Amino acid sequence: MSNSKIDIVSIVESKLKDKVQIQLGQLGNAAVNTSNGLHRDVVKVMLEADEKTAIVAITGLDLGANLGLLYHLRTSNAFITIRAEVPKDNPKIQTIVDLIPGAAFSELEVADLLGVVFEGNPSSGHFLLSEQWPEGIFPLRKDVKANEVKLNPPPPEGARTPEIGRQVKIIIGPQHPALLEPEKFAVTVDGEIVTKVEPRLGYVHRGIEKASESRTYLQDVYLVERICGICNACHAYGFVGTVEKILKTDVPPRAKYLRVVTLELNRLHSHLLTLGHAGLEIGYETLFQYFWRDREPIMDLIELTSGNRVYSSLMTVGGVRRDIRDTDIPRIKTTLEELRKKLPFYRQIYTNEASIKARMQNVGVLSRSDAIKLGMVGPVARASGYDIDVRKDEPYEAYGEIPFKEIVYTEGDTWARMNVRMDEVEESINIIDYALDHLPTGPFRIDAPRNVPIGEAVCRLEAPRGELFYYIKSNGTANPDRVKVRTPTFANLPSFLKTAIGESIADVPPNFVSLDPCFSCTDR
Amino acid sequence: MTNTTTWARVKSPWVLHFNSGACNGCDIEIVALLTPKYDVERFGVKLEPSPRHADVLLVTGCVTQQCAERLKRIYDQMPQPKFVVAIGACACSGGVFDGNYNVVGGVDKVIPVTAYIPGCPPRPEAILDGVVKLLNALNPPKQKKQKQLEPPKETKPVVSEPEVIVPSQEAKPVIEETKTNVKQ
Ligand code: SF4
Repeated sequence: MSNSKIDIVSIVESKLKDKVQIQLGQLGNAAVNTSNGLHRDVVKVMLEADEKTAIVAITGLDLGANLGLLYHLRTSNAFITIRAEVPKDNPKIQTIVDLIPGAAFSELEVADLLGVVFEGNPSSGHFLLSEQWPEGIFPLRKDVKANEVKLNPPPPEGARTPEIGRQVKIIIGPQHPALLEPEKFAVTVDGEIVTKVEPRLGYVHRGIEKASESRTYLQDVYLVERICGICNACHAYGFVGTVEKILKTDVPPRAKYLRVVTLELNRLHSHLLTLGHAGLEIGYETLFQYFWRDREPIMDLIELTSGNRVYSSLMTVGGVRRDIRDTDIPRIKTTLEELRKKLPFYRQIYTNEASIKARMQNVGVLSRSDAIKLGMVGPVARASGYDIDVRKDEPYEAYGEIPFKEIVYTEGDTWARMNVRMDEVEESINIIDYALDHLPTGPFRIDAPRNVPIGEAVCRLEAPRGELFYYIKSNGTANPDRVKVRTPTFANLPSFLKTAIGESIADVPPNFVSLDPCFSCTDR
Repeated sequence: MTNTTTWARVKSPWVLHFNSGACNGCDIEIVALLTPKYDVERFGVKLEPSPRHADVLLVTGCVTQQCAERLKRIYDQMPQPKFVVAIGACACSGGVFDGNYNVVGGVDKVIPVTAYIPGCPPRPEAILDGVVKLLNALNPPKQKKQKQLEPPKETKPVVSEPEVIVPSQEAKPVIEETKTNVKQ
């Protein structure tokens, strides 16, 4: 990594001596405990010291008399958590949006679900909850029996506000042919040019974080995996990996390789899906059909190795639940080889095809500095020259032992975002090939203790759409005390909201799909 | 006229897909149905973006508080006769998410459901099977009777080949029985 010399922890320590308390090795590289107001100073010091400081997530906790806030930040070579607390009867804290604009959504989420008031980032109405949800009741607080809350009657349908001048508001969603998932975007246009995009999230909000508090750790694997039907293996790994960190168990080498194979198969099918879907959005249906035809053999491989096409619950605390038979390996390899042979054809379409270039080049351009400020992750960040890939930065499982390239483009447009995925398809095939060739022998699972001790941990992994973040707090009982998930689309959405403005309304679909949006993840 | 419309509906049902709070698992399997391996279009099924032109509503996912109202509105916008297929464990009953604070439950809590396809997610083959069974169920009994009546007339003069025809005559009611069973 470029700035691997910056030692952010000692810089924070030297600049803010006596004011903050640093716990090394907790919740990432270090946890910085602050009292009210000082969290902003820590953020400022970090921003000054490292230009790559970006927000990952804000976790809200109910600590009894107080509400806890954890600001998870990533720098070029470290992962830092800043702790702050606010009293429950006056839950006010200063916003950090003026320092890091990418924190806006995270703050709104904590405000909606836990009732923290962020001074300087006023929330207007509910962010994830229904419009009918009563004011002043926050589902993530422990004393709230959220499933017994009585909703307000639906508001009368608002009269349409007359359009002023040339500005016209176009409502996309919640049911719309271009969206597979229900979500609403109010796009204001002046003629053909987009002037404003207002998202309304929460149509797929199922309250999974709260629900996981009333289920056991084992049941939760099945629950969190159902956050997303596309990157389900990543969610299962995120949960299991975090629990393993609290337990301080290490999984056997064979399990590490098998997990990598599963995660990469997940990435392969997800990227093929998106590359095809992008074709559909620009009216190139042949491309969509081709990609999805070639995705089916990968689905068969997923079924072969895990037992099911979509949900297989392969990941478990202590390893994986199924081994790959030696007799299956040749079949996996030939299938991947067939896909590899087709890649030059697809690559040439994505790089040279005139209609793709016309619809995607210079559409939705996001600069590198904006990508960092807004906290982009995954292919969206890498297409803007912001080289973050958790597999490289903080290798987990067997990724540290497997050679592969980190794909970075600098154009920052829709075209680059799709080409990052195109190249990653080949890298994924290489990774799986390598992992199968070097599969260690031995057990693929160990018996992990059932009882999780008191503790907390964070885990990051590179899902197909980018960095996926998990935080789990255990209170020593059979159920976790808090499970926080920050999904890649949640982080990437601000990119679309920013870059769509000033462009033609016809560019909205390709720009939007280049994020590879997944709202079941975003809303949870 | 009704026969023609029924024939058209059975031969080419236009379906609308609505995700009322799904995890994407079921949705992706529905999209996979349209692609070369499963190719649901060979049954004349066409995905239709507007509720006003749709015959069948495919709903995936548990119904969230925010979607309940919208789902009802979409259902009301569809012309009669309309059919609703609940795809996946969540749409059938709420699935793993049943009892969560923002979740109303299965689709039948909000709108009437014609057919349930369980599974998490159901395999594309299962969805295909469900759709075909629904199409068979759409065949009104009148048409079936006419079909049954016709073959005997033709077969009467052909006395020499009863063995060939009798099994086929018997076979038909058997198929129809399974069809009606399936409907329930
Ligand atoms: S049934 Fe399963 S796959 Fe379908 S929406 Fe529910 S959790 Fe997702």
